[in-house]
Amino acid sequence: MSITRIQLENFTVFEKMDLELSQGINVLVGTNGTGKTHLMKVAYSACDISTTKMDFAEKLVRVFLPSGGALGRLVKRQKGSTRCTVDIHRGSSKLGISFTNHSKIPDSAKISGSKEWSSIPVESVFIPVKEMLSNAPGFRSLYSRREVHFEEIYADILDRAYLPALRGPVDQSRKKLLENLQKLIDGKITIKDEEFFLRNAQGNLEFTLLAEGLRKLGLLWLLIQNGTLLEGSVLFWDEPEANLNPKLYGPLIEILLELQRMGVQVFLATHDYVILKEFDLLCEDQDEVLFHSLFRDEATGEIQCSSKREYLQIHPNAIAETFADLYNREIERSLGEKTK
Amino acid sequence: MTVLREGALELTLPNGVQGKKFDGPSHGLSHCMKAVDFILEEPDRILFVELKDADHPHANSRNRKAFRNQLYSGVIVGDLVGKFRDSFIYRWAESAPDKPRGYYVLLAASELDKAMLLILTEELKRNLPVEGSTPGTWKRQMAAHCGVFNLATWNEHLPEYSVKRVVDDQKGS
Repeated sequence: MSITRIQLENFTVFEKMDLELSQGINVLVGTNGTGKTHLMKVAYSACDISTTKMDFAEKLVRVFLPSGGALGRLVKRQKGSTRCTVDIHRGSSKLGISFTNHSKIPDSAKISGSKEWSSIPVESVFIPVKEMLSNAPGFRSLYSRREVHFEEIYADILDRAYLPALRGPVDQSRKKLLENLQKLIDGKITIKDEEFFLRNAQGNLEFTLLAEGLRKLGLLWLLIQNGTLLEGSVLFWDEPEANLNPKLYGPLIEILLELQRMGVQVFLATHDYVILKEFDLLCEDQDEVLFHSLFRDEATGEIQCSSKREYLQIHPNAIAETFADLYNREIERSLGEKTK
Repeated sequence: MTVLREGALELTLPNGVQGKKFDGPSHGLSHCMKAVDFILEEPDRILFVELKDADHPHANSRNRKAFRNQLYSGVIVGDLVGKFRDSFIYRWAESAPDKPRGYYVLLAASELDKAMLLILTEELKRNLPVEGSTPGTWKRQMAAHCGVFNLATWNEHLPEYSVKRVVDDQKGS
């Protein structure tokens, strides 16, 4: 079962946020500092503990990495004593956590619903902005043995990437997706001694020599091939456009839409017009895509969200506004030149 | 005050500006040359104007689909360039006064946001090509400037040439 709702109160940048989600694709847009990544991280943490059974507060600390590991630093900064609450819903199942800005350790948090939550585990993946596979050799053992200052999403993504291929025959829809990705990256991904390679007719190319954008597509290939992204799983992807040539956006969005049709719930945060427009153009009637526009309310200064199914209805749309500004300036320049 | 009409769109010209429908029966060469809809003459420049009305109230889904195909396949810019160049040659053969020429294109389609209008404007500038994008050996210019607009941005940037939709029209453009 996918995530159906996120409710936050006094959590990081959010004073109050109540977000109804699409079972298909959730596209988060908004300027820097409006909490797109925070929303994905909190939902990912909830998904992840459903399989690992880790304490929710502990996971939040590992994923958000507040200074000194102080859970209370995830409470929205304001004067006086403040309590924050987080509720993540999967249909009727709800995982809740509550703690104050004075909470130093994860044990001081009140957690509710974790037993029922973990009774139905959900596979999840968080693909961070920074590509990690090229730095993989030795990283996992280092992370597990030492206090290295890395958000846990980086170690988690490697754990997922290293999983061996799924047993049994590959169904048609997955096979098609894998073939499409193979065409884009011109090969398949192999792992040897914790090192990732792109294998094709020319031989094995280590990831450090591969274009960064292609490494990300290679990671997606691995996650589909090893069965991490199957029906009922959740994919979180922070800025998929980073380091990727815009020509690859279309094929990438096709793949995300196809994953959604297979029953994978997708969250992605983007700053890119082309990504949004590709969704607008490639979406079919049966596809479930919801655009969430996060913005700072001018009157209160607090983060709010407006969710729309239609691309053109996204408002405010910081990305389109930037283009509007460029267009206006271009036309003004062009019309200005008429008198020269 | 002159009012020009193309399908369901009405263009009002300011006083002192001459304008005529160019792509009409009097053109006479429509079997072999493309033509912009209107040619307007200001005291110090000529404006070629092309209107495409994808949001025409009587446009059927086939018309809309054809427009969308043109838009997203990149064909539309080539079509717009062809109309401009053929009109330019036609006017050259007429020995029309040589003043700096602008090319304004109105694509009345609600789906065209400013990002797409920006991309189309840049494509049109590159492909006409406008002054500044032409070889240094050119002593004369075909186009001084151009812009692609939707109905809202046309009226925002060219308030003196207001365009409105006439809803009672029964014909397509």
